[in-house]
Amino acid sequence: MLVGAGSGYGMPLTRRQWLRLASCAGVGYLLKRPRAAGEEAAPWFAEVPPAKSGIEWVHENAMSPSRFLPEALGPGCAFLDFDNDGWMDIFLVNSGPSDFWKPARPVRNALYKNNRDGTFTDVTEKAGVSGAYFGMGVAVGDYDNDGWPDILVTSYGQCILYKNNHDGSFADVTARAGVATPGWTTSAVWFDYDNDGLLDLFVCSFVDYSGVRKLACGNNQIGKNYYCVPRLFRPTASFLYHNNGDGTFTEVSKGTAIARALGKGLGVVATDINNDGRMDLFVANDTVQNFLLVNRGPAPKGGWNWEEIALQAGVGYSETGRPRSGMGLDAADINGDGWQDLFVANVDHEMFSVYLNNKDETFRDVAASDGVARATRLLSGWGMKYFDYDNDGAIDLFMANGHPDDMIDLYSMQVHYREPLLLFHQGADRQLHDVTSQAGPVFSKSFAARGLAVGDYDNDGALDVLIGVNGGAPLLLRNNAARGNNWLGLKLEGKHCTRDAVGAKIYWTAGGQKRFRLKNNGGSYLSSHDPREVLGIGAATKIDELEIHWPAPSRQVDKFSNLPANRYIHIAEGGALSP
Amino acid sequence: MRRPLLPILTLSALLLPGASAQPQTPQELVQDALQKQQAGDLQGAVKEYRQFLKIHPEATAIHSNLGAALAGLGLYGQAIPEYKIALQQSPALPGARLNLALAYYKMGHIADAALELERVHRQAPANLQAALLLGDCYLRMGRNKEVIRVLAPEEKRHPEDLAIAYMLGTAYIRDKQVDSGQLLVDRILRNGDSAEAHLMLGSAKLNVADYAGARDEFAKAVALNPRLPDVHVLYARALLLTGDSDQATKEFKAELASDPYNFESNLQLGAMLRQQQSYDEAEPYFKHALETRPGDPGVRYQLALLALETGKLQQARQILEALVKQSPQFTEAHVSLSLVYYRLKRPADGKREHEIVEQLTAAAQSRQPGVKQQ
Repeated sequence: MLVGAGSGYGMPLTRRQWLRLASCAGVGYLLKRPRAAGEEAAPWFAEVPPAKSGIEWVHENAMSPSRFLPEALGPGCAFLDFDNDGWMDIFLVNSGPSDFWKPARPVRNALYKNNRDGTFTDVTEKAGVSGAYFGMGVAVGDYDNDGWPDILVTSYGQCILYKNNHDGSFADVTARAGVATPGWTTSAVWFDYDNDGLLDLFVCSFVDYSGVRKLACGNNQIGKNYYCVPRLFRPTASFLYHNNGDGTFTEVSKGTAIARALGKGLGVVATDINNDGRMDLFVANDTVQNFLLVNRGPAPKGGWNWEEIALQAGVGYSETGRPRSGMGLDAADINGDGWQDLFVANVDHEMFSVYLNNKDETFRDVAASDGVARATRLLSGWGMKYFDYDNDGAIDLFMANGHPDDMIDLYSMQVHYREPLLLFHQGADRQLHDVTSQAGPVFSKSFAARGLAVGDYDNDGALDVLIGVNGGAPLLLRNNAARGNNWLGLKLEGKHCTRDAVGAKIYWTAGGQKRFRLKNNGGSYLSSHDPREVLGIGAATKIDELEIHWPAPSRQVDKFSNLPANRYIHIAEGGALSP
Repeated sequence: MRRPLLPILTLSALLLPGASAQPQTPQELVQDALQKQQAGDLQGAVKEYRQFLKIHPEATAIHSNLGAALAGLGLYGQAIPEYKIALQQSPALPGARLNLALAYYKMGHIADAALELERVHRQAPANLQAALLLGDCYLRMGRNKEVIRVLAPEEKRHPEDLAIAYMLGTAYIRDKQVDSGQLLVDRILRNGDSAEAHLMLGSAKLNVADYAGARDEFAKAVALNPRLPDVHVLYARALLLTGDSDQATKEFKAELASDPYNFESNLQLGAMLRQQQSYDEAEPYFKHALETRPGDPGVRYQLALLALETGKLQQARQILEALVKQSPQFTEAHVSLSLVYYRLKRPADGKREHEIVEQLTAAAQSRQPGVKQQ
């Protein structure tokens, strides 16, 4: 059988391609194996301890008696394939020297190479990505389109851009690239705002914490300092860097809505909220309104036109008109209507928001009606991600939580510093249902969770979860929840658009169900995700039809049909397909 | 604190001949209204009192009766003018001033209630109900010394009354007369596992943000005496703060079962239902809340949000425009008004309101210590 034969699609597979793909079906077969009698079901998400993973690195939060606020906000984490071997490696951000802390012993980030057997090896020193400032977050992207992922680390102090040398090492090109962003930066995202095929960079700036503005808050009920509420500090403007295509960037926010939007940015996702083919930005701010920066294209007199519309879109404030403490966020088409929906996590008693897209640049919050608001009422959310954890084709929701104030337990009886993870499953009714209690023992534990990244580190098609824990070891969770459901993994390679294909639209049909996904970038908090897209198809055994709508400048559409399930394939812009 | 309305005034009944089946004369009209009021047909009584007052507006007692019937319907805002007319005409009219104070109290106008209750208390120092209400008003107003002045004599006369002990003990403690307060608190606690004791402990825990502890105390109080004034509301408040909105809903409804016009219960239930997008169910609660406290900005804002979320943009606009005119610093109302203007395709107005929001936000930010330190 020739895949695509007679289908009328433009990119049928040859018999050779089909055989090569079929030969990779082993992993998928294993996923479908029936459980033996007496075999205990694995938890949906199983904790992989350091002894098993080899990830011995621990985050140093530098918690001091003065309680300097940057101590409370990290760390971020990332899944990335830095050596291009097809297996997801792990990057973990650490704190470091700053104007309020001089480490007594060396503190460094960590890069762990995937050994392809469920274990990892620390290669940080060789890679040269240890860091130099009080690190916060990480954004991974192939900004020079050389096929190798580069790493941007945000921090309190200065950002660092590590360019991939293709030999397991990285070079600090921050100064040369012109992205030595000062101040206190948090989440960042790579995306191509002007559709020129080069990744640009947006960097969230948090509050003005410079010099004497490091307040001491405290002498409270328990007579100690605690972390100040960000409301006390002055807001700042975030940064937009245009990629010049020669390894350098130009900061281009001046005169735009981005520079005018003074915020306290913690989370950012690049998405297309109005389906106009231009990537927009949704920014979660702490104690001030969120920003929805809509990309309106080239400005008449040069430069770029951004419009900040969060208030009128209904995503800037709570439904009662109050700014909240936005931290983690994400975007995805959760209800399958072809439009990007949004999510924002806030602190306790503010409740999180599930914003459905009204298709007219406005949104409505349905968190209360689908139970998310109730489940999150007492929680503070940071890292979170919309993804299809069980490969049934519908987008689900994973959230990592933790109160920012380590002393909260001393003066609150029901809000805690360490908080549980939450898992929501999207049912056939299109509602998100809280399935936390069924998801495994790790969901009974509590963490000071911050960053969260998703990625398939064992290449079984089920997206695993990595969580950065403030002052603790990271949490690696292996996903067993997708067993029994089929999938197809895509690694997209842009040729005219960015190599990472950010902004590509993916349409697939399997088992009579047509689905859609936009390849957003960013999302969660301080973290970066597996760049591959895993398409869940449930009980269907193959993808009947697949379309890739590549973003501008080409806007090319590549079509495929009858793709076998349960494997990763590589698709290059123009239609070249390979295992 | 829930107290029953005073018995309906029957002064006019003494002046009137026997009733007939169909009221024909003004006298028959008012007698029929009285019978309806006593039988619980308050709507019917209100209608007939009003008919009568068109003919005899000078009938002092009937204004007071009408006020009592309106208050029985929870229409405190309409009851108050009737009581006032009655009191203007007959300042010593028995019960009318206490009823007026009760109406203010129910509407949350505690200072006005205290003013009227102070007059009642001076005229009738033996009136225990007036003294208790007055003590409660002062307690809510934080005037602890006044609570002590009013309730200390009552406590001597009624040492077994746990409500007096609760309020007076709380006032003593807040007034830093801890020893005196402790004596009364101990009396409540010694009295066994009383609802009052748990209510008191729960309130204390609520005040120090121990919401879970407060919730548990209020649960015990509800179990011991579900008719204790405000016990369901306090329990519901603690439940909301500890994340149990389902049980909070039940408790607010329990409060409304005995006090259909309880302001907080109506407002909270309406807001919760609106959040859940149960708009038709939410609206009656807001209307009840607004009847209890006409013009309350919080309720009007909720009604504006309800209108906004149900697509009644002009209605939302009207409410919000009035709110921001009345309260220019009401930032949330400016936010929502901006949103409404944008939805009405009036971007210039939306932008103007957004700019006001930004100015208010910037002003608030400029007062923060991290900004002041340069």
